[in-house]
Amino acid sequence: MIQLEHLTKEYNGVRAVDDLTASIPDGEIFGLLGPNGAGKSTTILMLVGLIEPTEGRCLINGLDVARDPITVRKQIGYMPEDVGFYPTLTAAENLTYFGRLYGMDSQILTGKIAGLLERVGLDGVTKQVGGYSKGMRQRLGLAKALLNDPSVIILDEPTANLDPQGVADYRRIIREVAGHGTTVVVSSHILEEISKVSTSVGILSAGRLVAQGSWQDLAGGLADQSAAQITIRVETLNPMPAFSHPDLVSVEYERDRCEAVIIARTDIRDAVASTLAGQGIRLRGLSREGLSLEETFLSYYQVAG
Amino acid sequence: MAASRLITIAKKEFFDHIRSRKFLLIFGILLVVAIVGMISGIADYNKNVDDYNKHQSTIDSPLSSYMAEKPSILSVFSAVATYLVFVGGILGIAMGFDLVSKEKESKSLKILLSHPVYRDEVINGKALGGIAAVGCALLVVLVIALATLLVYGIVPDGNELVLIMIFGFVSFLLIFSYFAVALFLSTALDESGSALIYTMIIFIALSALVPTLATNTVAEFVIGSQPELPQELVDQMQQSANSSEVAGVTVTFANKGNNGAWDAFNEKMQAYWEKRQMVHDTLALFSPTMNYESVTAAITKQYSSSGMVVGASGSTSIVSSFTVDSRVDAGIDGILASITANLIALLLFPAVFFGLAYLWFMRLDVR
Repeated sequence: MIQLEHLTKEYNGVRAVDDLTASIPDGEIFGLLGPNGAGKSTTILMLVGLIEPTEGRCLINGLDVARDPITVRKQIGYMPEDVGFYPTLTAAENLTYFGRLYGMDSQILTGKIAGLLERVGLDGVTKQVGGYSKGMRQRLGLAKALLNDPSVIILDEPTANLDPQGVADYRRIIREVAGHGTTVVVSSHILEEISKVSTSVGILSAGRLVAQGSWQDLAGGLADQSAAQITIRVETLNPMPAFSHPDLVSVEYERDRCEAVIIARTDIRDAVASTLAGQGIRLRGLSREGLSLEETFLSYYQVAG
Repeated sequence: MAASRLITIAKKEFFDHIRSRKFLLIFGILLVVAIVGMISGIADYNKNVDDYNKHQSTIDSPLSSYMAEKPSILSVFSAVATYLVFVGGILGIAMGFDLVSKEKESKSLKILLSHPVYRDEVINGKALGGIAAVGCALLVVLVIALATLLVYGIVPDGNELVLIMIFGFVSFLLIFSYFAVALFLSTALDESGSALIYTMIIFIALSALVPTLATNTVAEFVIGSQPELPQELVDQMQQSANSSEVAGVTVTFANKGNNGAWDAFNEKMQAYWEKRQMVHDTLALFSPTMNYESVTAAITKQYSSSGMVVGASGSTSIVSSFTVDSRVDAGIDGILASITANLIALLLFPAVFFGLAYLWFMRLDVR
């Protein structure tokens, strides 16, 4: 169980995270979604205890991260965005070192590390981590996040450098661990990534949590109020149509025809048709087309911002 | 602080050091110069012992009083100290300049600190690993130095062994001093390259600039220039030079009839050089290199004929026949008494820089 209570972080007077309150139940795969600079990484760093909140607190399994960082960190697995390891050590040596910091027994570690490396597709790779590709380091990062059998896994942009096979492996592993009751927090600006793995989502915009809920509820709610593209095609330019809608995106003229595009959250086709009819303008076409999920979320950020 | 986590970090750092190419390379150089230094020191020592024996056998010789003391085995280490003052400093810098900055660059610091470790365990573990590596390196050097002595048939007695241990300890403090400076800059700066450059600047300043300033510029600035010989004494000297006709006869000015003026001048000069020595010694406390040279000079008994301390690199010597004879008592107590201030300074210097590194690391912004 993760609880964020009025979490706020300021850097030089600028609020990177602003009064964030959220609750993530056990076994949930929580997607923290937001554009670059929305405050996702700052939120993650406060969750891991790497930076202290200016106000508010994070509780993981009932423990305050800032007050009891060691106990909390024993219960979490973390993979940062640019995951870094010791380049002169092998994957197994890196994991052994981190395992010892968790106080794990050497004999248990050896077997566990072999299993984890196989799980992330790095078994048989004996070269030093300095020679790894970014994708391989990310796979190793996932293995490290799973090393201590954490009850909470926190992943910051986990698929940024993975190839399609790596992404598939990652999603499979995340679903497996969540199936065993582990809470997973995945931060990403890639909507598709969040939509593929998460069971609930929180949308951050300019440091504020603008929406939170199950993926279905949130996506459904957004669909109801989501923007759509309304395309108006006019048959003749006599009389000349006057478009003055506030959400008017573009008007293109071609010979004696014209086409206007409005992005609107409500279906305004009837109003458009009657307005143009009142002007004596003959319509050639009036269509409404829904936006993609990504465009819908982008629109959401803009509205929230 | 959990000892097991501290030891885990220190062990990793220790093995990182002793496996790194730069450490092995500089350690190799250190070994070579130590052996070369020992061999050349032993040659000098044997020659001095021969001279001493010769002079002892001709007890009536006027030179017998000049060389009343038997050459010390510790003098063998003076050549080692000459090399070690530079190579040791470089070794300390090489070990510390990227200790934290490398982790920032490779992003491993963030992942390390996300584990159940306190920050003080990380920085203390890093320092401990470095100390252990320096200690091992110096132990090997000392063992090889002692072995070289034995190979040449020179067996140190108990007191000499203690002094050799003190020599090893101050050598360790010298290396650790520059290691601490490098560690601090590695913590404060984000790039290893910048940390290296700034540490080298500090090393050069403390090894070359401070000694020069201490010996000349600052001393002159603080206490003024050397008293000039009164005109009456200059005239007297010229007069006596003109009247000295017998070659090979040493003429002492004091017996030329103006004892009062000479005594006053001597007192002024004495006071001047005492002040100058004090300024020099005070400034020297801020430089690990100068402290090291003072301590090793005292231990290895490198004194000039006029009784002045000659540093390993020659930089700390003060050339004046008016300097108070600083020849220390041959006993360990006497040597320790003469180097206490330098030893304290050598302990304080790395402690201050390690303290700064510690504080900086505790407040480091990990983003």
